[in-house]
Amino acid sequence: MTEEKYPINIWVNEERYEKLKDAGLAHMCEEMLAGMKVIRVYANAAQRDKILKVFPTAKFDSATTKSIELLPRQVKDQIFDKVVEKKSVDILEEFLSAY
Amino acid sequence: MAEIGHGGKEIVERILDPKEAPAKVRGLKQVPVRSQIANEVIGIAYGFFCPLTGFMGLEDLDSVVKKMRLKDGTIWSIPILFDMSDQELSDYGIKAGDTICLTYHGNPMAIFEIFEIYSYDKQAICQSIFGTADSKHPGCARTYAYKDKFLGGNITLVTTPKINPPFDPYFIPPLEMRKRFREKGWQRIVAHQTRNVPHTGHEWLMKGAWLQAYGELPIEKPLVGVLVNAIIGEKRKGDYIDEAIILTQDELRKSGYFGDHNHMTSLTFWDMRYAGPKEAVFHAALRTNLGLTHHMYGRDHAGVGTYYGPYDAHHLLASVKDELNITPVYSMNWLYCPHCGEITSEGLCNHKSEWQKFSGTVIRSIVQDGVKPPRLIFRPEVFDLVMECAEKYGFGSPFVTDEYLAKRTPVFTIPPLAGL
Repeated sequence: MTEEKYPINIWVNEERYEKLKDAGLAHMCEEMLAGMKVIRVYANAAQRDKILKVFPTAKFDSATTKSIELLPRQVKDQIFDKVVEKKSVDILEEFLSAY
Repeated sequence: MAEIGHGGKEIVERILDPKEAPAKVRGLKQVPVRSQIANEVIGIAYGFFCPLTGFMGLEDLDSVVKKMRLKDGTIWSIPILFDMSDQELSDYGIKAGDTICLTYHGNPMAIFEIFEIYSYDKQAICQSIFGTADSKHPGCARTYAYKDKFLGGNITLVTTPKINPPFDPYFIPPLEMRKRFREKGWQRIVAHQTRNVPHTGHEWLMKGAWLQAYGELPIEKPLVGVLVNAIIGEKRKGDYIDEAIILTQDELRKSGYFGDHNHMTSLTFWDMRYAGPKEAVFHAALRTNLGLTHHMYGRDHAGVGTYYGPYDAHHLLASVKDELNITPVYSMNWLYCPHCGEITSEGLCNHKSEWQKFSGTVIRSIVQDGVKPPRLIFRPEVFDLVMECAEKYGFGSPFVTDEYLAKRTPVFTIPPLAGL
């Protein structure tokens, strides 16, 4: 059985988009909700639980989207920067190891 | 003409004539109350909680816990309780039969005629009302935080609250609300319960419920309205600030997504219990008293976490529908379908693999990330107003922060009682 994954939606504002373009990573954006750009970093169940514990403002939207939302802006920025640095969305293990 | 509210009981405002109030209050013991109790005093005195005339006594509480009814048999699902500790009772020298003056913000607010003082098993309350005794459930946590004695008795307001801007136009008590509905000529009014800034999913919930409520009525002139009834109570960090909620809900009307002919925004003071199905029944009573004929219920109404099934509220409402004077309108989720290029209902669209669902939480995340959502998802007027509220009321943030909690202007204040 495939392990269930829970996305963290990093919504791409102009500032983030510029960084992606500069790094040649604009293609990583998915289009969501009538034209918004998003990068999706996926957590497994254990990572999801750790995120919710470490960042108490975060919320798992269990009812509608099954995504991890409301992470503080600076945490999202750090995750985003890690994606740009590693040129990959598979960075959560490394990101969470600092916590 | 008598205004008949929940349970077929007449709605009577329990508010003293300002000329009589000082004499009635003079000499009474003054007991300060916290915001939850002040909210409930307003709910009782203005008839939002009809047929309650005060805080519950033992028989009513026991009946609500065991049968979801008041002792007279009227359906009632949430205990309305006034708590004090033994120490406080002793310090104030309060006993059954006393009349005391409740104060808020240091000023007399209401007279409380205490009929009885009793205790009750809080865990039994939790198990019955919330379906769990888990202290992590916010309603249970609130119940366990009650002090050990409950005081039952009647409430009469002696000072009417001053509703502070920008909330003042939205406090419309039941008798006034019913008058306004008559002036508008609305024959059916459907309630939209909210604690949120509206995205287009919410907008379409309202539009869908409006269509459902319209039914067979003639369409030559507007006969059906949506009443947004925002719950204003205790805030948690990360929630939208109250000012943003109430003003953006009304913005949907002002910006033409609705109009005066079919939309109104109002508020009720209430600290959410997150009791899911039981809170849904409470909302039915509350909105009946406000004069509504229909009530929208979506998925997991007033729920929290995973304590309730998505349609438990619908099932409980169905079990008592013959005793409610309001018709539930059940709403399916609205979502964005890129294939349709529009917001659509999961009951209509069949491009299931393409659906993009969104929620209030997701929209909050988008706003927090500094992104302006497209107009199909979040109306630009609403977005701009959220940002304006952040600057004007939220100390730079549209979400509740420690600074907001410490410095915000209260939604209402109790002014000094003239002549005391």
